[in-house]
Amino acid sequence: MVPKVSLETPIEDLVQKFPEAVGFLTRNGIRCIRCGEPLWCTIGELLEEEKILDPQKTIDELNEFLE
Amino acid sequence: MKEILEKLQLKDVNVGACAGPDDWYEDPAGEEIVSYNPTTGEPIARVLQATEKSYEQVLKLAVEGFKTWRMMPAPKRGLIVRDLGEALRVKKEPLGDLVTLEMGKIRAEGHGEVQEMIDICDFAIGLSRQLYGLSMHSERPAHRMYEQWHPLGAIGVITAFNFPVAVWAWNAVIAAACGDTTVWKPSSDTPLTAIAIQHIANEVMADHGLKGIFNTTIGRGAIIGERMINDQRLPLISFTGSTKMGRRVAEAVARRFGKTILELGGNNAIIVAEDSDLDMAVRSILFGAVGTAGQRCTSTRRIITHKSIAPDLSKRIVKAYKQVTIGDPIEEGTLMGPLVTKGAVEDMMAALERAKEQGGEVLFGGSRLPDLGEQFVEPTIVKMPRQTEIVHNETFAPILYLMEYEDIEEAIRLHNEVPQGLSSAVFTTNLLTAEKFLSHEGSDCGIANVNIGTSGAEIGGAFGGEKETGGGRESGSDAWKGYMRRQTNTINWSRELPLAQGIKFGD
Repeated sequence: MVPKVSLETPIEDLVQKFPEAVGFLTRNGIRCIRCGEPLWCTIGELLEEEKILDPQKTIDELNEFLE
Repeated sequence: MKEILEKLQLKDVNVGACAGPDDWYEDPAGEEIVSYNPTTGEPIARVLQATEKSYEQVLKLAVEGFKTWRMMPAPKRGLIVRDLGEALRVKKEPLGDLVTLEMGKIRAEGHGEVQEMIDICDFAIGLSRQLYGLSMHSERPAHRMYEQWHPLGAIGVITAFNFPVAVWAWNAVIAAACGDTTVWKPSSDTPLTAIAIQHIANEVMADHGLKGIFNTTIGRGAIIGERMINDQRLPLISFTGSTKMGRRVAEAVARRFGKTILELGGNNAIIVAEDSDLDMAVRSILFGAVGTAGQRCTSTRRIITHKSIAPDLSKRIVKAYKQVTIGDPIEEGTLMGPLVTKGAVEDMMAALERAKEQGGEVLFGGSRLPDLGEQFVEPTIVKMPRQTEIVHNETFAPILYLMEYEDIEEAIRLHNEVPQGLSSAVFTTNLLTAEKFLSHEGSDCGIANVNIGTSGAEIGGAFGGEKETGGGRESGSDAWKGYMRRQTNTINWSRELPLAQGIKFGD
């Protein structure tokens, strides 16, 4: 399986291409849409800000969810 | 749809960088974005986004334009703003329809938003003759002291999807009256309304032989947005969006000692007292929570009700929600359209799951409406046992949380407990309750109302909020001061040189 998203994926791209990812992340306490607008950073930067201990694991789970 | 686009000079592919009638900057390196109709999911038209190169071209003209614009007497600038208002009156119908088409708010609200632009133009005409400074009596003999207000320069305006045209007007029109030029980065979800406005502004500017006054750069936040907030040539950034993004904007602009006007998240509540007129309260709650599908900064998100009337009020709100017609927002009679993106729907559904996990009971709604389209949802009422974590967060969707209180002190405590501080309201017929809510021990918001809801502000007042809402003020009252710099002047018309505070130095 080719991963659809990576730590370097901009949130603006993620939200546009994979809107279902928004729900996945929100359910995990990570909000990438605020006031209806995507954040300007990458997923990796957001996970770091949210102090996610293993960001790559979240990305792997997200890719699995998007399959 | 085609007719609307033609009336507004929109094409199948539009250029996303412009500084004047003959200054559209097309850089083939720019990435194309598609603007979708949230009602149908169908594409409306495409936009070639700005690049670093085209951004630079726009900025150059905005900075050059300022040198001319600032020297034009303010009342003459006001006359040009009047022409802009007239042009908007002519284009009100198609522009209002385009707002509905691209953003999904109902037609009455789309047209209302254009009316707000016209109103702010009217306001700015008068303002252009009232950019007053104070004069003070000097403590030194034969000295005169006063202050005057000068324009700032080219100003960055970054707006969100939910008010795709009015917020631009709040900023750009007031800034224009003040002698500033503006560079606008609209939301990537509503680029076509921005291009339509640029065309309208271009026609007006062409009549006066001007360019570089109203400018647009459409592009990603991560590229154009970041470029703007770090650009020393933009002394002020007016940003409308989330608290999280606002923090990023504030930090970047502060690092270069620029100024900001921040219009960030809201989590607006209505306190419904035991002595309130419930018919009025329910109508206001419905408009505040369901209007614009709960996607206004001032949308009503929390109801704090006296426990003696809570069951009755809940029943009345549910009954009112059942009567909301959901559908194509362009159709007459529709009260609620779709959410702006599929992501917004996902965000809402995930928030509802969390609300339920935290003890919330869904009294109405809670579901998607796939038969209407992928981005349609039911407006939702959730009774909460207390003000939990999810209630503290703003979800930009039609979710209304109901809570109860025993005395007014508890109501105000609950009201002020959230980190945001934009808009607030109390419904009461008791003067003491009303005044307490408006007092300094009452609502901590920038907007506090009695017997009207949290949304639907008029342009004449200053719009904005406290705490995590950012503290910025836009639109009416003296919000214009944010777009100018204050200069204190002291003139000695004597032949002596007395020092302030009576200091003697080398006399």
